[in-house]
Amino acid sequence: MWVKLALLLLFCLMILGAVHFAPPAESEIAPTSARLVHPLRLLTWNIGYAELEDDTRAHDKDLPAVAEVILHQDADAVALQEMTGNAQLNVLLGLLHEKYRGAVAQQGRGDRFEAVLVKDTSAKFMPVPVGARYALGASFKPRDDTSEVLLLSAHADAFNAAQRRTYTEALIDWAQARAQTSQVFIAGDFNFELKATNESNLYTDNLKHDSESYSQILRHFRDLGRGAGDTAINDRRIDYIFGPPSLGHIGRVAVLRDAAVGRMDHWPLLVEVGL
Amino acid sequence: MLTLLKLELEKLLRAKSFYLSFLVLIAFVALMLWGFYSYAARKTGGQAVEQFKYTYESKQYFNGLTFTLYSLLFSFTLLLPIFVSMTAGSQIAGEARAGTLRMICTRPISRASLILSKFLVTALHAALLLTFFIGLNLIVGLIFVGWGNLELYPGPLNLVDVPGKIMRDEALMRFGYAVVSGTWALLVIAALAFLFSVVFDSPAQAIVMTIAAYLTLYIVGRVEFFEHLRPYFFTTDMDFWRDVFKPDIPWQSLWHYACICGAYTAGLLLTTVVVFERKDIVT
Repeated sequence: MWVKLALLLLFCLMILGAVHFAPPAESEIAPTSARLVHPLRLLTWNIGYAELEDDTRAHDKDLPAVAEVILHQDADAVALQEMTGNAQLNVLLGLLHEKYRGAVAQQGRGDRFEAVLVKDTSAKFMPVPVGARYALGASFKPRDDTSEVLLLSAHADAFNAAQRRTYTEALIDWAQARAQTSQVFIAGDFNFELKATNESNLYTDNLKHDSESYSQILRHFRDLGRGAGDTAINDRRIDYIFGPPSLGHIGRVAVLRDAAVGRMDHWPLLVEVGL
Repeated sequence: MLTLLKLELEKLLRAKSFYLSFLVLIAFVALMLWGFYSYAARKTGGQAVEQFKYTYESKQYFNGLTFTLYSLLFSFTLLLPIFVSMTAGSQIAGEARAGTLRMICTRPISRASLILSKFLVTALHAALLLTFFIGLNLIVGLIFVGWGNLELYPGPLNLVDVPGKIMRDEALMRFGYAVVSGTWALLVIAALAFLFSVVFDSPAQAIVMTIAAYLTLYIVGRVEFFEHLRPYFFTTDMDFWRDVFKPDIPWQSLWHYACICGAYTAGLLLTTVVVFERKDIVT
């Protein structure tokens, strides 16, 4: 009898222990973001479509919704991916009531373009050659009393982890060379698959390549959107904003999950930082 | 109770399967060493450097501690649960098959005590397996791969979100923790095997049913279709044992899942005792 009683007692104690030590639910965790006085508000968004569509690049009919999100969030600079080109950019700039200046990257091997939009009218745009592709950089001053900011819009290969790795290495080298003179931020869709639980194997080359790429970025930059959660469908966190490691204050960090329209498979990532 | 324990321990030490489990683990360590050694040589050689500019996979990364960690994580998924199922599943059903169960139950001992003593011996076997496996890996790793700190990176092994490092002495301590947390997690499988061992009279049936239940939940838990079911599988809760290898151990979460595993173990054992006490032993 005493064995059964001991086991019953142990069972009850374990249940009580499990309840007592239960980690707080996400909704119970108080947001830690500080309210900044003059934040630099950066937004990144891959506005392309999921693989289900014939054309997975951004669709013109979605541009009003994209513009509305940018205006509503009052972003200082925006990194966009998967645009079709200059014509689409001009439509978007028009929808933004010419409050922003923008440019698309040079055409590389692919059929889609990265773009950067900046509020500052004196912003300078520059191509960033990374292997057979081009990212795009924009340097600007958010305010007169702040140092120069350089925002890169990047989009790494969706299907090949080794190519993502070489792309990331080249991008980091380029950014690092400019980190002495500017506050460099890298934003975009890197397609890193870092959740081993999503892999059927315990150890794969793809997983390792993405791990090496991500770890390489973190040697020089800080992952500002780390706590914001998934940025794309199927529980994937593949859109990032990386900033200088010395960055003092980080304000609001959010993935805007109600912003996607049509068959977009990504949500915008918004990060506020104090310079 | 002590006499019972002593008798059960003697039985365990006389079983061939007990020694077989250690032999298979030695073979697995040899296999891991060959794989790890050749992989490390390839990845720190010219080929990798030509293809990519930066890597964390340096000679410093490949050391005895990394080797032990990989070996342990790979084996814990399947190898160790199989041996624990084998030992636990044959405890009662094995006696029934050998025709000794009826005789044991005629002795002036309670059936509950019999179950408890057999379970404690099984738990000891699980702890011995883990201690032996980790110790062997550390010795082999030290001799053949070298010594260093334990470096962790996001992605492989799914342990950390950002690159981290555990210093050598602290890492050795963490392997000690892993013996405790790993044994505690394996006891869930042992308790399940005990229940099957009481329900079925054939040890093979009890072992196969335990492994089948474990593998089914493990595989289904990795299929995205059933993602919402994952939190309800004991295989998900068992994963807590790995948390001791995180640079900052998440103690609250670790205790939470350890308690859930404890509840599974105690609940299954209680059920086993109740079923066994009502069982008409005809073998």
